[in-house]
Amino acid sequence: MSQSLRPYLQAVRSSLTAALTISNFASQTSERHNCPEVEANSSPEILLNPLHISRNENEKVKIEPSYNSVRISIRIKQADEIEHILVHKFTRFLTQRAESFFILRRKPVEGYDISFLITNFHTEKMLTHKLIDFVIEFMEEVDKEISEMKLFLNARARFVAESFLTPFD
Amino acid sequence: MSQINYRTINIDALDPESSANFPMESLLPATLPQAASASDAANAAAQVRQMLRGGDPEGALRTVLDTAPLGGDDRAKEVHLATVIDVLQGIRQGEMTRILEGVCSGDGGAERADCLMKYLYKGMSSAAPGSGTQTPKKPVSPQDTGFSQIQARNLGEGGGGQQMSVLLSWHERLVEIAGTGSIVRVMTDRRTV
Repeated sequence: MSQSLRPYLQAVRSSLTAALTISNFASQTSERHNCPEVEANSSPEILLNPLHISRNENEKVKIEPSYNSVRISIRIKQADEIEHILVHKFTRFLTQRAESFFILRRKPVEGYDISFLITNFHTEKMLTHKLIDFVIEFMEEVDKEISEMKLFLNARARFVAESFLTPFD
Repeated sequence: MSQINYRTINIDALDPESSANFPMESLLPATLPQAASASDAANAAAQVRQMLRGGDPEGALRTVLDTAPLGGDDRAKEVHLATVIDVLQGIRQGEMTRILEGVCSGDGGAERADCLMKYLYKGMSSAAPGSGTQTPKKPVSPQDTGFSQIQARNLGEGGGGQQMSVLLSWHERLVEIAGTGSIVRVMTDRRTV
């Protein structure tokens, strides 16, 4: 792990540990409703100060806490246009299957590539520290995955170009 | 009146009793210090830089955190944020833990720790001041027609990495000393810096 990645992930981990102290909170506007307040945005007092953690301008995490839900948005590193396309395809693949990921949000927050929405029901059903581990591991893996895919893509492009140009040799 | 679709009106916003109109000022404590202006913040900055140059980084950090404009306007807060970041960048990696322990102990040490934590998050949320005024780059795509599926964005390693890594290492040391509770207080405290 590179030198500056470790404090970045450590900061995300401690911030998430602090933010994921959420409990059940029924809606104040409609009776017998219970919705994630960070999405419903029904009252300003329930939304807490958002936390930003950034490693540089292109790699950041935004944590928006509220009483009963936390929204985590991640901006994934993209060094060039190919990585940009790969990240787009990759996050699209994941968000289309959001039901089986439980905490994944269908649409990322503007300016970010992928968002998670963790509510008090998730933290009741699942272990909080495992949820944090999952987010951290996702951030670690996604960088590796993208650069691996980029290498494969370049290797394939080279092979295709070579075999396409052999008849003209 | 007929132009407005009454079904789309958010009636909660019109009701003074509704939770959507919660008076946020009532969450601020009455003991908030006097509202500071940008010139006050600049004066404090000059004093702090003097201390930093005089070889007293611990005193500089202590002063800059004690004079935080909790009740000031946005301009004063911006000026003060720049001062705090200057102080943090002026302290060497090896001295961080020793200085932090000094600043976070004694009278009002916990408040200073929380205040520093607020500044660390605020520093990371704003773009780096040096490279802050960058013009939006044009998409790198060679042809104009191609690739409209996704929006254009800045490519490359991104600036501000140096400053962020300083803030991140401060964050790590501060969490070791002040604990996660300090982050919770940053989230819940309405007295923003």
